[in-house]
Amino acid sequence: MPILQIKDVTKVYEGKVTHRALNQLSFEVENGEFLAVMGPSGSGKTTLLNIISTIDEPTSGEIILDSMNPHKLNATELAYFRRRQLGFIFQDFNLLHMLTVEENIVLPLTLDQQPLEVMEERLASIVDKLDLTSFLHKRPNEISGGQAQRTAIGRALIHNPSLILADEPTGNLDSNSSRDVLELLTKINKEKQTTIVMVTHDPIAASYCDRVLFIKDGEFFNEIYKDDRRQMFFQRILNVLSLLGGGQVGDLSTIRLP
Amino acid sequence: MTFRQFAYRNVVRNSRIYGAFFMASFFSVAVFFIYSMLMFHPDIERGILGEVSLIGMVGAEIVLVLFTLFFLYYSMSAFLEARSHEFAILLHLGMEKRQMNKLIFLETMIIGSGSIIVGIIFGFSFSKFFFMIVREILHLEQLPLYVSWEPFLLTIGVFTSAFVVISFISVYFKRERKLLDLIKGDAYINSTSTFSQVRAIYGVALILSTYVLAFIVSHTSMIGLTLLIPFSATFGTYYFFSDSVPFFLDLARGKRKFHWQRYRLLSLAEQTHVMMDNVKMFFVVTMVSTMAFLSVGVLATMSSYTTQYDRLNPLGLIYKGDVDNPYEGKHINSLRLQLEDKGLSYHLSRFVVVKQTSSYTHNEVEVFRESDMNALLTSFSYPMLNLASGEAVFIPYSEDSLKKLKNKVVHTVLEENSISLTIDSVYPEIVFPGSIVSVNSIVISDEDFVNLIKPVADEDIVQPSYHLFTFYIPQWMETKEIGKDIDDLTTNEYFIKKDKHSPFYFENAGLNYSYILATYSLFTLVGVLVATVFLLAAGSFVYFKLHTSLEREKRKFDVLKRMGLTDTELKKLVNRHLFPQFFLPWGVAMMHSAFAFLMVQSILKDIANISIVKEVFFAFGFFVLIQVIYFYLIRWRYISHIRS
Repeated sequence: MPILQIKDVTKVYEGKVTHRALNQLSFEVENGEFLAVMGPSGSGKTTLLNIISTIDEPTSGEIILDSMNPHKLNATELAYFRRRQLGFIFQDFNLLHMLTVEENIVLPLTLDQQPLEVMEERLASIVDKLDLTSFLHKRPNEISGGQAQRTAIGRALIHNPSLILADEPTGNLDSNSSRDVLELLTKINKEKQTTIVMVTHDPIAASYCDRVLFIKDGEFFNEIYKDDRRQMFFQRILNVLSLLGGGQVGDLSTIRLP
Repeated sequence: MTFRQFAYRNVVRNSRIYGAFFMASFFSVAVFFIYSMLMFHPDIERGILGEVSLIGMVGAEIVLVLFTLFFLYYSMSAFLEARSHEFAILLHLGMEKRQMNKLIFLETMIIGSGSIIVGIIFGFSFSKFFFMIVREILHLEQLPLYVSWEPFLLTIGVFTSAFVVISFISVYFKRERKLLDLIKGDAYINSTSTFSQVRAIYGVALILSTYVLAFIVSHTSMIGLTLLIPFSATFGTYYFFSDSVPFFLDLARGKRKFHWQRYRLLSLAEQTHVMMDNVKMFFVVTMVSTMAFLSVGVLATMSSYTTQYDRLNPLGLIYKGDVDNPYEGKHINSLRLQLEDKGLSYHLSRFVVVKQTSSYTHNEVEVFRESDMNALLTSFSYPMLNLASGEAVFIPYSEDSLKKLKNKVVHTVLEENSISLTIDSVYPEIVFPGSIVSVNSIVISDEDFVNLIKPVADEDIVQPSYHLFTFYIPQWMETKEIGKDIDDLTTNEYFIKKDKHSPFYFENAGLNYSYILATYSLFTLVGVLVATVFLLAAGSFVYFKLHTSLEREKRKFDVLKRMGLTDTELKKLVNRHLFPQFFLPWGVAMMHSAFAFLMVQSILKDIANISIVKEVFFAFGFFVLIQVIYFYLIRWRYISHIRS
């Protein structure tokens, strides 16, 4: 059963220059799926993510998340919806720098007025999984990028959301930290059956997913499913990407990364 | 596009960023200009408010300029800080350091000259209004608007040099930072929490001991201790903000049960951050607000004293002389002539006051005659006395004595002439000022008065009786010039021949009032100026600080909104963020001034016998109102910035 359905979503930005960011885009995300959305810059990835996360509204079309349309809720209900159903991971972590790592992680629960025992219990289990124990009392500016992103993942997970939205989660990380974070996301996806939608530029990051969806100029372009071997999957992603690049590079042979 | 055009466009198109700085400078200019207008006013230069007022105003203007310099420097550096990202881009593009300094200088001068022009126009258009207020407060006949080049020149000169100085200083003291950090723009401060527990306790203890000191001073009149108070208050306040507040916040954050609750997690962390970051600002705001409160309080006190003056001094002129005073006829005649020359109506009453010894207290008592007294009471149109033989009434000498003597019944005998009296009431109005009548003054019936033949037995009393001439003058405020020769004579007699007893004493209520009014006007002019500027500055400091961190705050609220912060929750969070920043310094300042006034009140009670509680409460209430309005104004701006 799909947990997220995008039905003919169109987004037009009115203004001095009218701009069509999404054009009749439709797809579905199954429960427990790890989906990557790829596309060149300006293809509407971030707009799509904003619409799913309900901070932006589609011009037409609808979104069904967990068999309800969040855009029909009023502002307060929407906030409660985001707080309980969604988890966010950002490229630049967006940790609150005056809170400690521990406080950053429990923030969604305190906003939701959970009792202290629940908070401590959830914190303990998550910290263990994310290997954050040794710097729980540090400030975000005292830890490394990988640790900061793990903290952000902890914050996105602690309230057991039904959908996690990740916007370029490895964009600011070195290759080692990137791999850690991606493996962590895969593990969480497998173990807890958490649905993850990840927007990325990076074919390596995309190759960790179950499925990769390509969009171009706000329209559906292609989608490919995971293979048995990640290497093959990565290769196929690169093929689609080069196709996506347009006519000029389409006839070149695929890029081979070492 | 030339370099100058670039600077100009920078300013004009960034009006939102520069708006607050412009407003701050523009207001300073306007206030300064209005005061210069008053200072150079031809009437005031002629000395209608006295020399002291003029010197006081010059002093206030100097204080104002110094404070404005500091204030503008502060806001200037806040805005440079807010624009560091923009500067980084310019430096990145290859702008020289020298060019950037020139850019800052040009921009400051553009804003400066703009605010000088607008400030002067604004000031000039409001100076008539201000003159009207001053005229009302100081009871001046007229204070017309005038045009003269002096205030314009002074304002332009002072502020042009102020802006030049500020732009140089702020460039010179600008924090050197790496270009890379500037480009990242995120100047989030590594607030390494460095409060010490010892100093935290020290801060609270110092403030408490200041209050105790103020209390001791007010109850034991050890005035010497007063000198300690400003020091302990200053240091105490500083440590309070630098260490005590972070210490308490840290304590609160240690308790999870308390801390991990709804907004507390965020707001406590934020408060810690804000407090640690802005210790100096909070300290300055507190001290500045304390001074503003104090000056307004003093003003309120003065105004209550002047309004009470009329009641406490009902008589225009009083001439008191010995029985054998050689000048008596001459002086009284000259006073009458002068009054007639001026066309002032008056009512002269003549008293013979006899001193006797009371058997009740064994002290000297001054005895007035009923018919003399009634003559004066008629002119006041107060109720007349009707005393039978053996009856007497007290003459009140102050407000307090009225209450004290009201229900007192005394049976006494005037020892020298064995006249027994029953004093059972006090005359219900103050007729003579406290300086003229002694604390033991009574009125007796004419029948008894005739029998006062033998003089007072006390050897120390040289004059057994005296003559008192009172002039009741309805237009008593215009008698300033009358009897000046006699007044000079009294002063000379008193000061030069100290050892010799002066045969007469003269008091002119109008003249005294003009002295008091001069002091009062000095305080009004200085106090109003200081209070307005300080109050405005105190609020603006907070606003500028908020303005600098606006971008960061906006990003924070974006994240929170994504995480599901509702609109009402956002408002509550903003409240909790702004409220302490506004009201903590003001609250501390309020406490400081409350204790200061407690002290002043008890000292004044001893000296001038006036109560300032009502006035101070009124002034404080007014301040609270202004603060609340200011808080909501800034909260409104802040929320709309964050939402945009």
